[in-house]
Amino acid sequence: MKSLDPRVNRLPVIGQPGQILPKAPLDQFGTFEVFVQPKEGKPFQHEGIVHAPNLEMAFVLAKEAFTRRFTCVSLYVTDTRNVYVSPMTDGTVNAYEFVNEIPTQSGDKTSYEIYHLLKRGKQHQHVGTVQAVTPQEAMSEARKIFKNDKVVYNIWAIRTSDIRFTNPEEKELWLTLPEKKFRDASDYKGGDKLKEFLEKAK
Amino acid sequence: MDELALKELLYKMADDLLILGHRNSEWTGFGPLLEEDIAFSSMAQDKIGQSYALYSILHTLGEREPDTVAFTRNGNQFHNSIFVELPNGEYDFSLIRHFLYDTAEAFRYEMLSASSYQPLAELSRKIRAELRYHTLHANTWMKQLGSATEESIGRLQKSLDYAIPFALGMFEASPYEKELITTGVFGGEQVLQERWMKKVEEIISQTSLHVPDWKLIQPVFGGREGKHSEFLQPLLDEMSEVFRIDPSAEW
Repeated sequence: MKSLDPRVNRLPVIGQPGQILPKAPLDQFGTFEVFVQPKEGKPFQHEGIVHAPNLEMAFVLAKEAFTRRFTCVSLYVTDTRNVYVSPMTDGTVNAYEFVNEIPTQSGDKTSYEIYHLLKRGKQHQHVGTVQAVTPQEAMSEARKIFKNDKVVYNIWAIRTSDIRFTNPEEKELWLTLPEKKFRDASDYKGGDKLKEFLEKAK
Repeated sequence: MDELALKELLYKMADDLLILGHRNSEWTGFGPLLEEDIAFSSMAQDKIGQSYALYSILHTLGEREPDTVAFTRNGNQFHNSIFVELPNGEYDFSLIRHFLYDTAEAFRYEMLSASSYQPLAELSRKIRAELRYHTLHANTWMKQLGSATEESIGRLQKSLDYAIPFALGMFEASPYEKELITTGVFGGEQVLQERWMKKVEEIISQTSLHVPDWKLIQPVFGGREGKHSEFLQPLLDEMSEVFRIDPSAEW
């Protein structure tokens, strides 16, 4: 059987002498950004990405990829292409300094979710919602509302309607019991067992 | 209540979960994409965890330790349906089996949540969240691939047609049906099968697939009384390999 695993299929095929061909694009699904709420009352934070054929599959795959072992009460996903990103700073300047304040735009306003990156190497965290016509206006609105003394390295804005949220009745997905120790890698005590085995083997 | 009736029920449920959990775990590292590999492997682990819970209940009823029961019986002592021991084949068959089996399992535990036998009622509450995910995962894939491309629809339909007679074997009546029903332990295979058929039809109707005519299908029975296909023994040999080398090994 030909493997269905994309990693296997990406192995180079042995070619014909003299053959020169353009590089083929990777046969991969697009990416979706995953946000997780670790506890009730805590903000959602960006956890990473999943590859998926669509938003609904991304939600399903994100659940096991990101919330199997650690506490979670809710998660949501959005197509990577729906995330608007401010310029990144080196931490000496607030990223909001790079966001232009623009006059209120005409048109139907929709809500946008705003996220801050407060430390390099950390995750973007949800800070609130603004009403705007465009992502640019959303950033500008965020500057008015969320900019303070704290340096923000980077800002994200996502249109709320582009997000696949957890439905209230889906919340029971995370009602798994804490006693499920077999999910916790440390509970296997792999290091101790290896040490014991090596001692015996001496 | 007759303990034999209860044990028969517990054994067939546990064996289904152990064997299918093992089969599905064979995809680990070979899944069609990394994210799906993780999800499918996790659900296989859930199934083995659920079988362990059932073997533990059996242990309280005087049966041997879960590991002994899982790793030392011969094929003809297993009560799983033939459906769950069939080889994985390609991913379309594994997905179809996942959908057909997990739909039935979710209903089985839903019925057992009202069981007069407390340990089963408690277990069904405990694993509710896992089953919710398993059915969400299965249904989403069905809807996705069942309406995607000519190839995906064709593959799923072929696997569905092949799987349905085996899937109906899951509902092979126990010699203790009447007793389980009257004592309120379990509502019976027939009620379960009817709910399952309705749900399968409901999900399939949202795709380009079609359910074969139930009346024309001959269910593949035998597994519940220890009559299996040639595929079970090699699985058991592989699954119990470490246990047979060193029964005291922990992992």
